[in-house]
Amino acid sequence: MEHLIRALIEGDRPRSVFAVERLIKAGTDRELIITEGLEVAMKRLESKCTLEQFNLLEIMVAGRAVMEVMNYIYPEGSRPVSTKGKVIIATLEGDVHDLGKNILRMVLIADGYHVVDCGKDCPLNVLVSTAKRENARAVCISGLITSLIPLVRKVKSSLHRAGLTGIPVIAGGAALKMASAGSLNVDVVCDSAFDAVNWLDNEEVRKE
Amino acid sequence: MNSVDRITATLQGSPADRVPVIAQVFGHAAILAGISLGSYVRDGSLLARCQIEALRYYKYDAVFALMDTSVETEATGSVLNYSPGDYPTVKSFALSNPDYLDRLSIPDPHRAGRMPELLKAARLLRKDVGDRTLVVGCVLGPLTITTQLMGIQNAIYCAIDEPDRFAEILDFATALAKVFGEAQLDAGIHLPVVFDPSASPAVVPPGFFREFELPRLRILFSFLKAHGSAANWLHIAGPAAPILPYYQEAGVDIANFDYPVSAAEAQTRLPVTCLGGNIKPLLFVEADPGEITREANLLLDQFAVRGRFILSSGCEIPPESRPGNILAMVKAAKNIGRDPCRS
Repeated sequence: MEHLIRALIEGDRPRSVFAVERLIKAGTDRELIITEGLEVAMKRLESKCTLEQFNLLEIMVAGRAVMEVMNYIYPEGSRPVSTKGKVIIATLEGDVHDLGKNILRMVLIADGYHVVDCGKDCPLNVLVSTAKRENARAVCISGLITSLIPLVRKVKSSLHRAGLTGIPVIAGGAALKMASAGSLNVDVVCDSAFDAVNWLDNEEVRKE
Repeated sequence: MNSVDRITATLQGSPADRVPVIAQVFGHAAILAGISLGSYVRDGSLLARCQIEALRYYKYDAVFALMDTSVETEATGSVLNYSPGDYPTVKSFALSNPDYLDRLSIPDPHRAGRMPELLKAARLLRKDVGDRTLVVGCVLGPLTITTQLMGIQNAIYCAIDEPDRFAEILDFATALAKVFGEAQLDAGIHLPVVFDPSASPAVVPPGFFREFELPRLRILFSFLKAHGSAANWLHIAGPAAPILPYYQEAGVDIANFDYPVSAAEAQTRLPVTCLGGNIKPLLFVEADPGEITREANLLLDQFAVRGRFILSSGCEIPPESRPGNILAMVKAAKNIGRDPCRS
């Protein structure tokens, strides 16, 4: 498993897939590869992601290897429904930058969440209806431009109007992380994709 | 002392009548004039008029012949999406496949895309303000031109998968920046800010910056200085502290620092370089003039002994900012040493 973890952190796709092939041939359970391999690799990567060290390049390259391994383990259509719940992610209408959202997607999937991606430039009503249809556990909004902030402030109230009062809203991205959760009317503003995953992972604990 | 004299003195560490204040007002100038951003970024005459009106209203020390981060990529063949209320974004990238680099040619700044309009804005601004106010142009740094030519995801994967090809693309981008910068200098700007957000440590690790970007920034700045740039201004937003020590080697005279970098850290890492920053951009939208004044005064105090400081925002002042907040920043710089109540 350690070979896989190292290869993933280095973003080495051929070595990552080779390591998984060997694990599967040796009879290792696929879910164990995810929990003890992919999730551990992402946790180690996260530990490098202090504010000083975080950079898109390392996350993207590792994320690409993780996605390739996931596709190898579970070819399209064969993947079981995640046990951690569905998370809706989007960049709201008016913002066509989706890199941050795509990174969050990779990190969430690697951590065992089922991600429903509403894409970029997403109208608020589409976000809300998707959250309702999918029985979402959380909604994540990424934003690169400050002009998006008035719309972000409406997300929570729009969810409430649709009867979705228990769904937390998580914000992130260069523009949104300049603001506080209170000023954005969201539950939390995260510095990185890892912060968002940690917040979600700890949510059950907080509820207790 | 006029603005150019004030900034020149500050750069040299000589006495100036006050700290210069450069509000990074780009698209906000359009909003202030009641013009749509979509029109502003396509019309050099309009851009110049809005910049001059904003200068007269705010009375800061520099104007900008600057449209957005898609000028170079559009001129090279990318197709943009324009909308009335926002900066344009790239719809299809000129270099979607790195193997097609040979098909690209360096655009002619007098003919390609919106470059001629930007040159027109530079000429009009210089004609209007002469040597009284600093006229700042803009070229993107090599890494940012590259990410704008390819898309950031493709660019990053190319850097990892085909580093030699990636270096060739960076060399192309460097040549493009030189040509565009030279044309802007010829059109009358005092200096171009080299805007390089993709070189931020938030995007690439410091080692990557040192290996790929630093040598090319050195070439670019050396070229710009040789072609008459009054100073080399590098603007890399975000948590740039780890790469600040490389700036001197790159030939940087003015270093912008964004709000994630503290004034103390910037001073430690760049002890002699002129620093510009770093009020959080969102405050110009969300805060009130009192808070901006406090933030500005704090910065002015932190640089009071060291000098070589330009009061500014950490990055662009958002277009939708409140004018009263920009006025408050300018007033803070002009009040320095004159307000006995300020601690």
